[in-house]
Amino acid sequence: MVGPIYIIALALGLAFFLGFFGKSLKTFSGFVMLAGLAGMTFISGQWLMAFVDGSATTQEIFTAGFKPPFSINLRMGIEEATFTFMINVIGLLGGIYLFNRLKEVGNSAMSVFIVLIMSLNVIVMTRDIFNLFVFVEIGSIATAGMIILDKTSKSLQAGLKYLLATGVISGLLLIGIIFAYYFAGSLNIDGIIAANLMASKAGAVAVFLIIAVLVLELKPFPANGWGLDVYESSNPGFGAIVSAGTATAGLFVLYKVLPMGGDAWYQYISIIGLITFVGSNLVGTQQKIANRLLGYSSIGQIGLVMTVIGLQPILGDAFAFIAFALLLNHFLAKAGLFWISGIIKKENITDWSALRKNSALLIMFVIFIFALIGFPPFPSFFGKYELIMSLISSDNIWVAVVILIGSFAEGIYMFRWLGHVLKNENSEEEVLDIPWNKFIPIVLVTVSLLAAGFYSVPFVAGANYFYFVPLAFILFLGLIDFLPAYIKNTVSIAGMGYYSWLLYPLVEGDLMRTIFFAIFMFGGILTLVVGYNKSGKREGFYPVALMMYAGLATIVTTDNMFGFFFGWELMTAGSYFLIIRGKRSKPHAYSYMLFSVAGAYLILLGFGLAHASGQTQALIALKDISVLPTLAYTLLAVGFMTKTASLGLHIWLPGAHGEAESDVSPMVSAVLLKAGVFGLMLLFLYMGEQTGDTLLFILGWVGAFTALVGNLAASFQEDAKRMLAYSSIGQLGYILFAIAMMTQLGWLAGFTYVINHFLFKAILFMVVGGIVVKAGTHNLYQMGGLIKKMPLSFLAVLIAMITMAGLPPLSGFAGKWLFYNAVILKGWYIQGVIVFFAGTIAFLYAFKLLHSIFLGQLKDNHRNLKEISPSILIPVYILIAGIFYFSAFPQDVLEPIGNMLANYFPSTLEWAADGNAVTILSNWNGNAVMIIIISMFVLVLGYLWLITGKTQKLEQFNIVYSAERPFRPETTHVSHNMFAGLNKAIGFLVAPGITNFWNNVSKMVLDFAGVVRRLYSGNGQVYAIHIIIYIVVFYLISIG
Amino acid sequence: MDYSIEKFLWAFLGLFIILNWGMLMSALMRRIGAKLAGRIGVPLYQPWVDLLKLMSLKTWLSHGVMYYIGPVFRLVGGVGMFLFMPVIFGIEIWSNYSFSGDLILLLYFQSFGMLGMAMGASESGSPHAAIGISRGLSQFAAVEVPMTLAVIAIAIQHQTFSFSEIMAAQQGGIMNWTLFTNPLASIAGMLAMLGAMSHSPFNLVKAPNEIPIGPPTEYHSSFLSVLRTNSAILHVVEAALFMNLFFGGADSWYMYIIKTFFVYFISVFVGMVFPRFKIEDSIRWFLKWPTAIGIIAVIVAAYW
Amino acid sequence: MEYVIMTTGFALAIFGLYGLLSQKNLIKIIIGFSIFTTGINIVMVAIGYVRGGIAPILDNEGISQIAAQKSIVDPVPQALVLTSIVIGLGVTALMLAYVMKLYQDKKSLNINDYKNLKW
Repeated sequence: MVGPIYIIALALGLAFFLGFFGKSLKTFSGFVMLAGLAGMTFISGQWLMAFVDGSATTQEIFTAGFKPPFSINLRMGIEEATFTFMINVIGLLGGIYLFNRLKEVGNSAMSVFIVLIMSLNVIVMTRDIFNLFVFVEIGSIATAGMIILDKTSKSLQAGLKYLLATGVISGLLLIGIIFAYYFAGSLNIDGIIAANLMASKAGAVAVFLIIAVLVLELKPFPANGWGLDVYESSNPGFGAIVSAGTATAGLFVLYKVLPMGGDAWYQYISIIGLITFVGSNLVGTQQKIANRLLGYSSIGQIGLVMTVIGLQPILGDAFAFIAFALLLNHFLAKAGLFWISGIIKKENITDWSALRKNSALLIMFVIFIFALIGFPPFPSFFGKYELIMSLISSDNIWVAVVILIGSFAEGIYMFRWLGHVLKNENSEEEVLDIPWNKFIPIVLVTVSLLAAGFYSVPFVAGANYFYFVPLAFILFLGLIDFLPAYIKNTVSIAGMGYYSWLLYPLVEGDLMRTIFFAIFMFGGILTLVVGYNKSGKREGFYPVALMMYAGLATIVTTDNMFGFFFGWELMTAGSYFLIIRGKRSKPHAYSYMLFSVAGAYLILLGFGLAHASGQTQALIALKDISVLPTLAYTLLAVGFMTKTASLGLHIWLPGAHGEAESDVSPMVSAVLLKAGVFGLMLLFLYMGEQTGDTLLFILGWVGAFTALVGNLAASFQEDAKRMLAYSSIGQLGYILFAIAMMTQLGWLAGFTYVINHFLFKAILFMVVGGIVVKAGTHNLYQMGGLIKKMPLSFLAVLIAMITMAGLPPLSGFAGKWLFYNAVILKGWYIQGVIVFFAGTIAFLYAFKLLHSIFLGQLKDNHRNLKEISPSILIPVYILIAGIFYFSAFPQDVLEPIGNMLANYFPSTLEWAADGNAVTILSNWNGNAVMIIIISMFVLVLGYLWLITGKTQKLEQFNIVYSAERPFRPETTHVSHNMFAGLNKAIGFLVAPGITNFWNNVSKMVLDFAGVVRRLYSGNGQVYAIHIIIYIVVFYLISIG
Repeated sequence: MDYSIEKFLWAFLGLFIILNWGMLMSALMRRIGAKLAGRIGVPLYQPWVDLLKLMSLKTWLSHGVMYYIGPVFRLVGGVGMFLFMPVIFGIEIWSNYSFSGDLILLLYFQSFGMLGMAMGASESGSPHAAIGISRGLSQFAAVEVPMTLAVIAIAIQHQTFSFSEIMAAQQGGIMNWTLFTNPLASIAGMLAMLGAMSHSPFNLVKAPNEIPIGPPTEYHSSFLSVLRTNSAILHVVEAALFMNLFFGGADSWYMYIIKTFFVYFISVFVGMVFPRFKIEDSIRWFLKWPTAIGIIAVIVAAYW
Repeated sequence: MEYVIMTTGFALAIFGLYGLLSQKNLIKIIIGFSIFTTGINIVMVAIGYVRGGIAPILDNEGISQIAAQKSIVDPVPQALVLTSIVIGLGVTALMLAYVMKLYQDKKSLNINDYKNLKW
């Protein structure tokens, strides 16, 4: 095996000899440099392999055969091997990426580059603190050299600021080192640790200086202006090296020297890390310049890893995995992002839509962003989950909260950026120039990121390799994305069918899960069928749709919290991409994502508390949470309510659902919203009525007002799809109210609403979506009279609307009947009345939608419209068959559910032999009602037909109209502001108060960030002063 | 459950009786109104004449399928309300098909005909129809609030939604009527009834002279005859609903006719005294006093 | 004696740092930096000083090795200082090179003129 010292020898030798090659041999020099880097990678990789398979033991290397303190001491253990390997890999890939640029600048640049990588290697391996100083300095000088790889005015300024800052920092380090030596009598890190300098005040100062300076090298917020400038102005290829390589080495050094300081220092480091993570990400929210934004994110992520290093004593066994997962994630993703930035060459993130010209690059960009925010299946997801669990188990909930706040802040700008990339205008002329040497490194880090996620599985309780099966299928769909839509649609449906069959045994016997499973999977397949009417390729649609369904399937089949959270995040990611596909969806998808991420974090905290009390990942841990139960249940409930769009958390929904594509709306509305309901139901069952008394009472009121406001707002909408979206808010309000009652009847009503809402909302969104595409407008008042063109659509919408309004004989009434009984038995009278009021308001928009689209006056530009496609009508009529079955035989559906619920609640509903449902208050026979109403209808229709005889069709404008004959449909079609009177009377209830509230919140956050970032005045001296102040404040807090 | 021919015939007979009673009652009301205005008024047989005339008119014209079946929905709604409610307390043959449900079913079935008719009228494309419907729906939503409160107060009081049980609880003397045992709920319910009956000041849907006659504007001849049939039935049935809830129900046809007359008369009487509301004022009114009374009624019923 | 040297060293370092932070002229800032590093170097030398000690040179002719270990000044800080001076030189040179390039770019030596990157 090649000794680790040869890494240094190889690099130094090469750097030296590169100087001899003439200018004519530039390409050759370049390959020599790469070969050298490959050699370094090989050596460290070889050691890493040996350590992993156990064939090597930790090596200590002493210069000239002396023992410390008289020699310089390097170490090669598994940690060093891993970190040098990472650094050399980033060096090699970075070298490949920068190949052309380095060649242009010349051999000297290559020398500097290789020296930089070498210095990072030594920083990792050395056990000698002065040697550390020397190579930190060499690294700084090399960095200062690389900053001006692109010699611009900005990079020159950044370089000088960098030199000034690191000059001050290293001076302080030197003082620390010399005093450490003075007091410890050794320069060896282990020697200094053994000397326990913290015992004396002077020794503590020495340790303070060393550690504080190493922290400063990691650019802690806010003393990091110089670092940000480097990220912003230097070549992004070099930014990748700094962000991935230098920071990795720096973090390892911190990890290495931290034992000098003992327990107290771990705490300081975790606090510094937290401040950096939150502060940097918060300030980043105002940033528009891509590379600087990446700088903020880098610093934030490094702060997070710093926190984890500081938390080492708390995390115990889990430390190594968490720290490494988070670091590796940052390492790969940030390198990838910087490299992409180097290809895009756009300064402002709003111009990044150019990325769409290359879908491979776009996908990798997306992967990096999601990896950074901590979505599955990337290592940070596993790491963060484990981190939060460990923190809460060890009673450090506040640390967990702060970490999640920082993570959320990062989401704020990352998803804004992603939105710009996915949706902004794109000029056609520009082409994206992607040389292979820039592309390959990005691909490699992407693959590594995915692989790292896969290999994280054994480290997290509850994680399962099975979760990667659907992901593999999604990957496959991504690979066949070039095929026409109908083929992919068929493949997707087949895949979902097979997956459902595969998973069904997991839910079999558990009726609640079976119902949701059926809604998710069967509903998913039906909504996919609608996709057959789309022509072309629908690039990128199927992978994300299937991702959402895979997440939903995981949620409903898993038996542990990790699996649930995995599925939850997968579903969130998939649905985000589905939603953002809509033409004007950018802001809506953005707010959807922010609410979802925040909600997910609340759930994560709740799970953490459950885990802390149950010491298990099984979902049963949610039962009898003993650690802060009220908080835990509230967090979970609010978290789930972000998905059910309950009042206060609903503002994302109308836009997200309303602007989505025609077949996406039913997916996200009829199917996806039920995930939140499932979560709430699961939660409530585990929580029980006793524990959650107050919470349930509040949620009941929230549900009631959600129903009212949702329905009222729906009736004032002019946009067909937004009306349906608001209606979803209202319906989900009913469901929340129903299940918050925690009685058998309440839950039965809840289930009835879940099933009905799935059926009718899918129908409505499918049909209306199809019509909106055909009619070319979302606006109700621009449609009209389409019944004559689309009778089947009309019938479908009519049936769906009758169901929604809860009119007998259709199944909606089952929900109303159960509701009345449940409300009276529960005693929630006033809330109940609000809900019933909301129910009557549902008639208003039911009528408005039917009237405005299908009835009234046909518009001139719609005279040639035809019925919507059979690929929409077939699933729609399948769902209608479902409604009729449920309506005519409610007992078949409700009785098993009632029996299942009797396990949890006292049974208050009996079924007579003839299908009569009986409570102590009331009775209802759905079957009889259906028979009687249909018979009456037939009789009366026959009677009318008898007395009427043959009729002749009137022409469109042949109506009584104040003795005039109208000739413009626009002036005769009553639709716009249809319920003006109601609006005048109670419209104030739907004033956009909540939207304004959230707007103000976000404005406050952004304004705050805007104020804070003025610290970064741009003056190099100010940055140096920041460093001094930081040291002083830090000193006062830690020692003084 | 009884789907026998005999049951059907009894129900049909009951329907026939109340149809005629409804027509007679409307003639009576018109005459009373005329007297108040110093006119003589129509002869008592006028509704029958009108109905026969409309039925025998040849109908040639239709705006479309939904327009055609709109009146069917309307009449099914009216007839259904009749069928789902027991007519005479305690007599099996007059219990109709009330076994299929109770008060809750009725409350929701009210809207069945209303919405169907709304669809039909809308298809004609007449703006008057759409305006009338939009007003009607808005007002209906507001009326439902005190109505629901009253119903809930009664349900709390009697611990049932069943008509026969509610009626049973009111037997044995006038003082057992809900009107006296639960006066607040009765007031709220009766105020809601004014809205449900759609007489002035709440006659916003048809609003004569304002939007010709609202939804039925485009309906004529046999369609109109179906609508007229329905309104005759509906007046009686609605009155019967309130009679059952607040005035002890009826244990004989004799009582049925007297009580429905007076219940209906209340709404007509109010209509003769007050002019028409604007729609937003009507909504505000229902959401103010009747609702407040209803809430108090519920609180009283629940916690007293 | 060593305290005098150490105090001087610290004083120089602080003066240098003050200059680095307060001067607006880039050249003066670099001079400040030089003084700062020089001060630190002096501190380092002072740390290794042993009162009355002799130069740490072992040549087998003078004192014995055992005696030498007691009487010589600590050689390690002196070795470190040499390295440190070299590094300081490198950094200073690089800074000056930067200043030259910056001056060519904007014809100004005032650090306030180089604030294009901020926030």
